[in-house]
Amino acid sequence: MEDLIQRAVEAASAKGVQYAEARLHIDSGSGVTLTNGKPEPVQLAKAKGIAVRVLVDGVLGFACTNDLSRESLDETVEIAYRTAKASKRLVTNPVRLSKEKAEQANWETKARKPLLDVTIEEKLAVLEEIEKNLSLSVVKVDLPSRTLVLMDDITDRYFADTEGSKIHGVASRIGLLFVFTASEPGKGIIQRIGQKGETGGWERLEEWDLPKYVAEEAKSLGKILREAKQAPRGELDLVLGSEVTGIACHESCGHPQEADRILGREAAQAGESYLKPDMIGHRIGTEAVTVVDDPTVPNSYGFYEYDEEGVRAGRRTLIKNGVIAGFLQNRETAAELGVSSNGAARAVSYDREPIIRMANTFMLPGDYSDDELVEDVKKGVYINTFMEWNIDDRRYNQRYVGLEAYLIENGRITSGVRNPILEITTPGFYGSVDAVGKRVEYEAATCGKGEPEQGAPVWHGGPPIRLRKVRLGG
Amino acid sequence: MNPEQIVDQAVEYGQKLGAREVAAAVTREKRKMLKFANNSVTVVQSWDQTVPTVYLLSDRKRAGARVENPSIDALKEVMKTLKAAMDITKPGEVESTLPKGPFKYDPVPQIFDARIPKMTDELVDLAEQAMKAASAEGARRSSGVLVTSEWERYVKTSAGAEGEDKGTDINLSIRAFVDDDSSGQGNSCATRLEDFNPKLAGAEAGKIANQAKNPVFGDEGKYRVLFGPSIMAEFLDRVADFATAYSVDLGLSFFSDKIGQKVASEKLTLVDDRRMPGGINSCSLDEEGYPTQRTTIIDRGTLKTYLHSSYSVAKYGGALTGSAFYAGGTWGIAPVALNIVVEPGEYSQEKLFEQVGDGLYLTNNWYTRFQNYQTGDFSSICRDGAFEIKNGKIARSVKGLRISDNMPRIMQSITALSKERKWIRWWEVPIPVYLPHMIVEDVGITRATK
Repeated sequence: MEDLIQRAVEAASAKGVQYAEARLHIDSGSGVTLTNGKPEPVQLAKAKGIAVRVLVDGVLGFACTNDLSRESLDETVEIAYRTAKASKRLVTNPVRLSKEKAEQANWETKARKPLLDVTIEEKLAVLEEIEKNLSLSVVKVDLPSRTLVLMDDITDRYFADTEGSKIHGVASRIGLLFVFTASEPGKGIIQRIGQKGETGGWERLEEWDLPKYVAEEAKSLGKILREAKQAPRGELDLVLGSEVTGIACHESCGHPQEADRILGREAAQAGESYLKPDMIGHRIGTEAVTVVDDPTVPNSYGFYEYDEEGVRAGRRTLIKNGVIAGFLQNRETAAELGVSSNGAARAVSYDREPIIRMANTFMLPGDYSDDELVEDVKKGVYINTFMEWNIDDRRYNQRYVGLEAYLIENGRITSGVRNPILEITTPGFYGSVDAVGKRVEYEAATCGKGEPEQGAPVWHGGPPIRLRKVRLGG
Repeated sequence: MNPEQIVDQAVEYGQKLGAREVAAAVTREKRKMLKFANNSVTVVQSWDQTVPTVYLLSDRKRAGARVENPSIDALKEVMKTLKAAMDITKPGEVESTLPKGPFKYDPVPQIFDARIPKMTDELVDLAEQAMKAASAEGARRSSGVLVTSEWERYVKTSAGAEGEDKGTDINLSIRAFVDDDSSGQGNSCATRLEDFNPKLAGAEAGKIANQAKNPVFGDEGKYRVLFGPSIMAEFLDRVADFATAYSVDLGLSFFSDKIGQKVASEKLTLVDDRRMPGGINSCSLDEEGYPTQRTTIIDRGTLKTYLHSSYSVAKYGGALTGSAFYAGGTWGIAPVALNIVVEPGEYSQEKLFEQVGDGLYLTNNWYTRFQNYQTGDFSSICRDGAFEIKNGKIARSVKGLRISDNMPRIMQSITALSKERKWIRWWEVPIPVYLPHMIVEDVGITRATK
């Protein structure tokens, strides 16, 4: 396999390009599903293909194919070169790449029980075990529609470039997705979509205790339907669970700090950013807020050791004690901003260009216990989970609608509330955080960006946090 | 091995493995994409991919695979694993059978243009035309993509269906900026070069961006809203997806048990027209080998049918709609919308502004998310030009707005449509929609205040 990509790099180099890289991906995945207890089709997905990216006269040319014949490979290199060259006259800001250390490495996610050793039968048995635990007598709520999907994939990747990097990486991932509709006579219906995911082997899933975890999720829906009252509106204090902290860190910290957005490269698709290149050092939140993105968290869904430009990955601090501390960079943005890449270039498959992505984005913990976060809240709301959310394309105006949520009265969590709506700006959000919990949790998700779209596996998370004097409404 | 040979061998091998029925398809696609930002090309991308898919059925059991590898040996290996998986799987809910062929497939006119695949240098010229047109309207910078595609599809099933199809398309999406808060989007997509107009798309983006200068924060409230085609196309992409039996089955649709009921204003007729000459995704057969058709989903406000595959017809009744494609998801082959068409209204665009009187004109959106797919409660963020209308005329540019409402209520509250229609397809609207401007009453608008 190394021969193929080396051949592509050499063929590109012979054309006199400024830079060339080749990636070969061999991906294999499966999905098993139970809908309302009945099996849906077993799904398999296989992909094997090669991508070549060249820098010619300040233009990046990318071409890919899943025909791995010598003729096809030569043609792919030629197309990448020729199309980039042809576009030169429409370049006013030539692309440059930052100088990075050439790496030679071999990495693999650890798996005690490799996913390839797990049969479809074993996977279905896990779903059937979960399903058993979703009966009315166990979860005390009717789930007229419930879908459970167990999905796994292994991606085996080879990378080489004209600067001497040669990297081979293998990552295996496993995840569970569930979609529930819960109903209660006279109380309407509510829905919940949840996901778990990690890198590693089958042992990761065994540690999740899925029957208990999924049943607890279902029970919570029944409780909301039976007990939750209308949410209050107006100015009050708010405590957010880890899931809500995590989505906020992802949407209003991770995304606006992607340097390609800041420089306008994604303007026509995922949008730009409220941040400008010179806003490192700008205060956006309170001292309590520190947010990082870290691809190297063991077993995380967004784990990788080297990015798709051959740069070694490491933790990057995005907000430090309330101040913008850094951006997510690839080699293109790093060159333009005069810094080094911090290894944020990801491509989800051979047929996608590497672009700046988050990996695992989370707020660092503080020193408050869960009880301490609520004990001096006189009137407030605790939002533990959410369903609806969105944010504008400059990542400034965001909204989270709570699913499992409760009133806080005189320092105690009391009755449930339905659909509390937080609609707030980014500085409004981070500037209102006055206390950060100790207990960090992560959620798995698939983050969409790029054209063509790339759904990247990520974690987002953090501890429960407290926001003072924010408006609930909608 | 060529695609015909791959589908031949896949069907034969599937039967040899013991599958009762087999559907095999191979899609070959060559695409080019020129991406630009800040008036400068950033990357030029090319794809050359041959992708086989297979779908096996036996005794209330189904299994499917997508194999991005044109080797028949790789496909056979995967099929062997699929069949073994079916053998140990419990039976599903219903027995379904593939549509019984052979069928006659009438080619859809005007969906192939041999000039499009040959374009390379010309893409630069076309992108430049769009950017210059945006600049001429006052834009200071533009970003976007220009994409060409040439595709061929071969389908064969063990039920006697066999056919092939091919098409081309060219698509430009451009977003122009006068400043960070003032932007507009334009779009042109077509299957033939004579129907493609990058200058018009660029001019539209630039004009909206220029009109959107100096925006002020808009106010929360209920408004009569004139929706431009881009924003309503994003909504209708979702509405058409909710009308697939697949979404209904997952519990992710507000159309459950609504066949024959009034689900929208009488002004709305929504069609999935795969036979439309020159339609962006028009084609003559689906991936179960069934001939495509023009399917009226909503007829003057009444839900007439779900979009179906053979499995969903077996489960929910109704008739095949030629909508079965290997779309991923949990079904493998599932019904999908491909070419969404809204019947036109009676007003000129100018008259629609008069009809609004006082209200809002929203040109684009993104990030629609649902609190509950069965009730349809959702919100979506306005993007690009958003305007207050006073006395039938644009009064000022506004920003910071979010549509916070209920999708079935919005569908029920359409009161007027324009005569003119246009195709919309861009990053947030993957399924192309051909539609007019529309007025909707009492739309909920919210915004962040801190």
